[in-house]
Amino acid sequence: MSDKFTRIAIGTTRRRFLQGSAALGGAAMFSSMGRVGDALAQDANTTLVIAAPATPQGLDIEFDVSLGSIDSLGALYEYMLGYEKIADPNSPDAMREDTSVHADKPNGLALRGRLAEKWEVSPDGRKATFKLREGVVSNWGNTFTSKDVKWTWDRKFNLKGQGLFQTAVLGLKSPDQVKVEGDYAISFNLDQPNPILLKQQCNLANPIYDATKCSEVGGSDDPWAVNFLKNDSAGFGPYRLAQLVRGQQAVFEARDDYWDEKPFMKRVIMREVPQSASRFSLLQGGAVDIAQFLQPRELEALKTQPGVAVDAVNASYMIWLELNAKIAPFDNVDVRRAVNLAIPRDEIIRTIYYGYADEQKAPMPYIYPMANESFFNYAYDLAKAKEMLAKAGVTGPLSTTLSYNAGDPTQEPIALLIQTSLKQIGIELTLEKLPAGVFYENVTKRAKPMIFYLDSPWTPDPGYSTYLYFNSESYVNYSNYNNPEVDRTITEGLATLDDSVRMEKYAAVQKTLMDEAPWGFIAYPKYTLARKAGLKGYTYYSSNNLRFQDFSRG
Amino acid sequence: MFRKLGLLARLAALRPRFAAGYIIVTAIALLAIAAPWIAPYSPTEADSVSFLQPPSAAHLFGTDNVGMDIFSRAIYAPRIDLTIAILGTLLSALVGGTIGALVGFYSTGRGIRVWLSFAVMRAADVLQAFPVFVFAIALVASLGQSIQTVVLAIAFVNAPIYLRLMRSQVLSIRSMRYVEASQVNGLSDLRTIVRHVVPNAMAPVLAQLSVNVGWGILLTAALSFVGAGVRAPTPEWGSMIAMGFQNVVTGQWWPSMFPGAMLAITVFGFSLVGSSIEVLADPAKRRQLLAEARERSESRRARREAV
Repeated sequence: MSDKFTRIAIGTTRRRFLQGSAALGGAAMFSSMGRVGDALAQDANTTLVIAAPATPQGLDIEFDVSLGSIDSLGALYEYMLGYEKIADPNSPDAMREDTSVHADKPNGLALRGRLAEKWEVSPDGRKATFKLREGVVSNWGNTFTSKDVKWTWDRKFNLKGQGLFQTAVLGLKSPDQVKVEGDYAISFNLDQPNPILLKQQCNLANPIYDATKCSEVGGSDDPWAVNFLKNDSAGFGPYRLAQLVRGQQAVFEARDDYWDEKPFMKRVIMREVPQSASRFSLLQGGAVDIAQFLQPRELEALKTQPGVAVDAVNASYMIWLELNAKIAPFDNVDVRRAVNLAIPRDEIIRTIYYGYADEQKAPMPYIYPMANESFFNYAYDLAKAKEMLAKAGVTGPLSTTLSYNAGDPTQEPIALLIQTSLKQIGIELTLEKLPAGVFYENVTKRAKPMIFYLDSPWTPDPGYSTYLYFNSESYVNYSNYNNPEVDRTITEGLATLDDSVRMEKYAAVQKTLMDEAPWGFIAYPKYTLARKAGLKGYTYYSSNNLRFQDFSRG
Repeated sequence: MFRKLGLLARLAALRPRFAAGYIIVTAIALLAIAAPWIAPYSPTEADSVSFLQPPSAAHLFGTDNVGMDIFSRAIYAPRIDLTIAILGTLLSALVGGTIGALVGFYSTGRGIRVWLSFAVMRAADVLQAFPVFVFAIALVASLGQSIQTVVLAIAFVNAPIYLRLMRSQVLSIRSMRYVEASQVNGLSDLRTIVRHVVPNAMAPVLAQLSVNVGWGILLTAALSFVGAGVRAPTPEWGSMIAMGFQNVVTGQWWPSMFPGAMLAITVFGFSLVGSSIEVLADPAKRRQLLAEARERSESRRARREAV
């Protein structure tokens, strides 16, 4: 955005924000004043105000997957495919993606067309052809064609950011494997069958860009529009970016020329409020519609507040301890097993999460198809943990360090509970609190014996999840786990289309992972949303982000 | 003995805030010493059965969000806070005072020593130009998180204060006749500084010590509050406040309020002690205060005799 544009946008937005805020109370009190009051009330009614921990740092998924950024992506961009929506079984007001296996549906998936109207996978599973939707325009007015899809995937190959993982997991080795088959047809041509080819088209990390606009603004200096897409958007989603002032607020405006159903919320204001206690107070006082990422005890307090609702749905989040298999004492599998037996999961979920989490009993999200919790053999048992330590040859007290993230307020109390528990089996933990930036650096360097990690794999698939965290070649394998048999089975499963065969393979993988315990399994935190009671339409996505177009008032 | 106690009592009656300072500091020190015998629970072990319990007979100050007893932790905390603050302050006084005495003694005249003095003072200017807290965080971040590092950080940020104090005192003392006389008698510079200059320049330094111990406690707590100080679960007021302050909004005020109150009272106590030392270490002010005490004592006696 140019400076001039930014200035204009700020002025307009402030005025409208004030109008909207005033309308909340003013329109109710002075509704008899006629049409002006009605108009202001209408404006407030279609404005969604979110108190977020951070505004987007960048808007390019290749380089930024921070909280504010991923919430923006689903509003600014459109995807080739999406999952059907179903009611959430645990939260009556919430919807969620239907990611389960459906033997009765094409390709075993409940998919709906977005930018792709129709799709077909060849019988050998090596080619998928997409018939694209006509008449779709971007936020810059350019018409969507197969050229945009091709440019999007070429960009992943050329920038070598996170998109490289997306190409690798599909088995794409060259940009030529994504072929334009006409103005409104494109195909993906793989060397091996791949069961997640269609799932990847729904992944939040694969938005489709407006190639015309990106080529125009980037020119020859920046052919992949890196500078432009960091601060602005060029996509086919339901919103356009009206303003981004990092550290303060981001404003999104609904597009009148969006191809699908027009969003109810015409304007979305994402305000940065770093302290969760402040977000809590803002929602409690009615100043915002949504307060994101509140602490569990704050959610518990809000449950009894009139006019406020809390949704808590089972999610793809996992929190665990990386037990570094290359650093003593966790190079000994029995020590890893002993730690798992002494993690007080029940206490953690009750005391720290107030029930907004479940025990982690599988090495992948429990909401994903083929997740198998039957191999979990680490119920809290200190006597058994001591036996396991004895089996590991540990005779005296054992000392090690547990590192945790200062930016996540749940990690320190969890660390304290684990420290107290491990002390009882003779393991003395020194707790090391690391600032958020240093924490992630230490996770990726794999230099700590024991460090927390909270993450979620965005594609609901056992092959994607296990490849991401346990394949010895994966950059996210932060526990340095290495088992060639596991590597081989994961890779085989990623080239197998038959779901029953895949289930067998991934059951075997999960059994080995549970037995060899590369992680200290802790919990599956739920995705929680604290909102005004009148706000409807919340939908859970496996990438744990909001999509503003889902919300309305009822 | 009784006369001295009587004088102390009269001084306390004359300046009750000084007495309050000594009482606070003594009480906190006694609590810290007696903590292992009077703490009802372990200060470092979590008990998830009784998390966030409000103050009660079982838990005088309540419990925090992992079930640790706030009272036990709050009375153990000064062991860490006081130790760090006192060691850091003494170290800063030793280093800063020594350099200040040398710089003050050699600030005039000509030669390399004068240039060195000038360079040291400009270096102190640069150090003092940084905000103290930011500077301390940077030190802890670069040296690593430990109790020793916090002690060093306190010493480092406070040393320029003592350097300046001692220098300004020495500058005025070095031209005194008795200093000149000692040099005429053949005493070396070092002996002159140690025997005749430093002992006469100590009064403001001693007063500053107590104030700086209070600041040291505050700095230790602030560093721990932002996660750069003492490691959990070591009982320390700043980290206790940090763990508890987010609970205030949901109604659980006790995990941060009690350690916060103890921290405030302790710093206040040291500040009062500092004020008293400033008066008592200054011969003129001390004479005036004692005279006032005697006068009041005599007038009371006169009233008794008249009755």
